[in-house]
Amino acid sequence: MTPSRRTKDILLYKTYAELKAEAQRNFLGFLWWVIEPILFMLVFYFVFGKLLGRRPEAFIPFLLVGLVVWLWGQATIAQGAAAITANRGLLNQAFVPKALFPTVIFLKNTFKFLFALLMLLIFLVAYGFEASLAWLEAVPVLAIGGLFILGSAYLAAALTPFFPDLQVLIDNGLRVLFFISGIFYDIDTLNTSYKAVFQANPAAVLIDSLRAILLTGEHADWWRLSGVLVGALCIGGAGYAIMRVNESRYAKIAY
Amino acid sequence: MPRSPTKGRRPLLSLASAGVCYRRRRTLRSAGTLHWALSDVSFEVMSGETVGILGRNGSGKTTLLKVLAGIIEPDRGKIERNHSSISMLSLQVGFLPQLSGRENALLSSVLLGEDRMAAKRNLDAIVRFAGLEDCIDDPLATYSSGMRARLGFSVAYHTTPELLLIDEVLGVGDQEFREKSTAAIKELIKSDRTVVLVSHNLPTIRELCDRVVWIENGESRMVGPTEEVIEAYLR
Repeated sequence: MTPSRRTKDILLYKTYAELKAEAQRNFLGFLWWVIEPILFMLVFYFVFGKLLGRRPEAFIPFLLVGLVVWLWGQATIAQGAAAITANRGLLNQAFVPKALFPTVIFLKNTFKFLFALLMLLIFLVAYGFEASLAWLEAVPVLAIGGLFILGSAYLAAALTPFFPDLQVLIDNGLRVLFFISGIFYDIDTLNTSYKAVFQANPAAVLIDSLRAILLTGEHADWWRLSGVLVGALCIGGAGYAIMRVNESRYAKIAY
Repeated sequence: MPRSPTKGRRPLLSLASAGVCYRRRRTLRSAGTLHWALSDVSFEVMSGETVGILGRNGSGKTTLLKVLAGIIEPDRGKIERNHSSISMLSLQVGFLPQLSGRENALLSSVLLGEDRMAAKRNLDAIVRFAGLEDCIDDPLATYSSGMRARLGFSVAYHTTPELLLIDEVLGVGDQEFREKSTAAIKELIKSDRTVVLVSHNLPTIRELCDRVVWIENGESRMVGPTEEVIEAYLR
């Protein structure tokens, strides 16, 4: 059997296994893939919509688009950082290409994300937004977003086993990113000299573009998105290269 | 009876002065240190033969198996491979408690290098050998440790790499299954398969191996016919 065929088989089974294992861990199982973003949204709706009283027009759809995308990226990158370390037992029993582990994490979370996205679209229509062919522009936007998330997970997975302190930095970095990505507010309304920095953040680019397409009927910001694409290829390429070069060193790291 | 010399056979794998170095991680309070688990190991594995690796605890046997399996690469010296597939007879690779026995068997087979289709074809035989026909669709979490061990063994036993690496011929499970699995492994080794067998049980090595590599302090002290090496080892 060719190595690529074996890799594909493992990818398929491992992703299926992880999804099923996650769904069977508790009573509500895969329903949590829908409930979790909704619960998350309710908290933010309550805090920022009710308590602090800053409510842009149609705040719930605005918030939901941001959160669904955010949860996809956040979960993939945080789990991706631990992907190789979490499989150290397996690593010492059989040779498995290391890039496989963050890829499985990405596929698992992407499947959950698509599920949540479908719910989101149904919700939007029920809320009164008109589904149109223009929504298809979201497909390439999500592809670029996915590539960026996968690339980040690759780099995080490649480096964390060598520098375990990175896991803490990544978790905290993601927390900061959450607050500066305009998930529960509109970056355009900010009155700060850092606005340009905020807008260059890939998470914000992705979320802004999706909101433009789905909520306000505008086009995505393709100029900024192409920057994200270039970034995704650089980061992901670097992560992949590091994993390939060090393929047989990960099993030797004493944990 | 051990088979005769290696004439006419081709080398599937050869090591030349291979060494493996582990580095202890640096922290703020301690500098990293180097430790050569293997320092100078050379030998060949010819197709169809069974090579025993003999050595005391801590001599580097497990590290050597990992090098042969391709899990780690030597930091110095050379390794040459001419085999199509190789795997360690590892038990319960990648098992997840939430999945059924059947799903775990498939996942584990694929991780051990089996084709997805071959894994599916083997499934009945795997289940039968493990004696788990009645509960193969139950979640693994409901299995006793003996049942898991049986499934793990059966999966590993049914993989078919060209070169098989075995770390101790240990039977698993209860008395009955232990005898059955030990006998099965011995049959497998005696067949035409190419096997590298690690053990510190001399009778096992004597019974099963054509040639023996004696490892001490990370070096191959002696390579040769089983009886000669064992005699030198005991001296």
